[in-house]
Amino acid sequence: MRETLATRLALIAPTQGLVLAVLVLPALYLVWLSLHTSSFGIDARWVGLDNYRHILADGYFWRSLKNTAIIVLVVVHVELLLGLLMALLFASGLPMKRVMLAVVLAPYAVSEVAAVVMWRYLFDPEVGHVAYLLAAVGLPALDWAVNPLHGMVLVALLSVWLHLPFTFMILYAARLAVPTELYEAARIDGASGWQAFRRVTFPLIVPAILIAALFRLIFAFRLFSEVWLLTSGGPARSTEVVAVYLYLEAFRYNAFGAAAATGWLMVVGSLLLAAPYLWRLARERAKDAA
Amino acid sequence: MKRAAIRAGKALAVALILLWSLAPIALIFAASFKPERDIFAFPPRLAFTPTLEHYAALWARWPDFFVGLGNSLIVTVIATIAAVGASLCSGYAYSRFRGTWLEASAFGLIVVRLIPPIVCTLPLFPAANALGLQDTHAWLALLYATFFVSLGTFVMRSFIDQIPRELDEAAAVDGAGRFATLFRIIAPVAAQGMLAVAVFVIVYAWNEFLFAFIFTSTRAKTAPLVLAEIVGNFDGVEWGVLFAAASVQLAPVLVFVVLMQKYLVAGLTAGATKG
Repeated sequence: MRETLATRLALIAPTQGLVLAVLVLPALYLVWLSLHTSSFGIDARWVGLDNYRHILADGYFWRSLKNTAIIVLVVVHVELLLGLLMALLFASGLPMKRVMLAVVLAPYAVSEVAAVVMWRYLFDPEVGHVAYLLAAVGLPALDWAVNPLHGMVLVALLSVWLHLPFTFMILYAARLAVPTELYEAARIDGASGWQAFRRVTFPLIVPAILIAALFRLIFAFRLFSEVWLLTSGGPARSTEVVAVYLYLEAFRYNAFGAAAATGWLMVVGSLLLAAPYLWRLARERAKDAA
Repeated sequence: MKRAAIRAGKALAVALILLWSLAPIALIFAASFKPERDIFAFPPRLAFTPTLEHYAALWARWPDFFVGLGNSLIVTVIATIAAVGASLCSGYAYSRFRGTWLEASAFGLIVVRLIPPIVCTLPLFPAANALGLQDTHAWLALLYATFFVSLGTFVMRSFIDQIPRELDEAAAVDGAGRFATLFRIIAPVAAQGMLAVAVFVIVYAWNEFLFAFIFTSTRAKTAPLVLAEIVGNFDGVEWGVLFAAASVQLAPVLVFVVLMQKYLVAGLTAGATKG
């Protein structure tokens, strides 16, 4: 079958067209925008790297970056650990596995807004069920609306809850792909459960762990809705994350140039966070190819 | 002895998973039917007289919410058709054809996943205004579709890779063109993949907050946005209305995810690990 170039182009045109129009061109325009001052009703003026200088000198930016980095690193690694433990549990055999799978996947269906309603209710310092439970074991309630640290803990918990199904599924699928014969061989060789995990399971699911980590690091860095809906970055901008900082710069202070620069720093920041995993992944791929 | 310990450990783990995954959902569902005074009873009251008063109050005071549900439905349907259609075509092309620039454009689809949604709102905001697309269903649907054509393409490619090329060749011998082959022969066989892509888009489009928040105000306002408004107007007293709204927004997509579980899992493994 001979294909004309036109057929190929026509087949990929809808996908590439959407991506080009909504993602690529705006991203390129953003470079231009980040080098200008721009606001409603004012002509853009070239300012070189001033926007970047302005942001890097802004204490609020650094605080939002620090908050983001902490939340992202905690959330992603807690998810990987819990997801891995659950994958191993499911693979070891569970009664009513299909039902349990549906249970684990349920939070995937929940919108950020609905999740915020749930968690605000559970963690209400006055009347929430979790506050009662904490009081019952002698712990103070999470005062998330007032205490920035508590606010961030709640945001992190909420994020883990929403995204654990995704991380779990990738790890579980990888675990299921490990051939059963390998475990039989390990058992015949007298390997303990831990040794079988260490020598058989773990090396084979490393690529999946890296991919799950990469996906989640990059996506978690975009964290916006949970923070916006729970604390709006407050009190006094103390729980702000980078996406919220960008939103405020752009849509509250109308500083589009500064917001654009923040956007680029965001892309760079999420890449830097993901770099160790990306590097490991590239090495794994090279090893496979060799 | 050891076996009993393992079994007890597993039972505990299962109980914790049930509590963690379901308790938040179950509690607000139940609370949406509870009289106000029972909502915060602790431990949660299992026996209560169910009431629809919160749903009635929601209907009376937030008519916007039900308009929002309609808008969400329209946007979700358009976004799903667009994303599945585009992914089917490009997934087919990347499965069947090889070439340097084709590979490069596939790689490009992976790279664009790095661009955060909030970053492209900046240039798109004035663009939407200039084109008169601000606050329209079609615009929101287009944005949602775009964020899933990349994953969708790779899901479709991996599903179509499983379909023997002989099928294409037989169709060609019968005189069918590429597009006829794709839509009449390949698409029905790749229906599972299309369903998998559809599940992702539907869940995302039904629940999305950020784009709806920035790009809609009245006409195309979606349900999550109205729900956020209800949260914003919350006075600390009427939890019932809040729970009723959250339950209505959540119920259809939750049932959908449970029913479509199989496709969700298949799509995640095909798209995430092979893309």
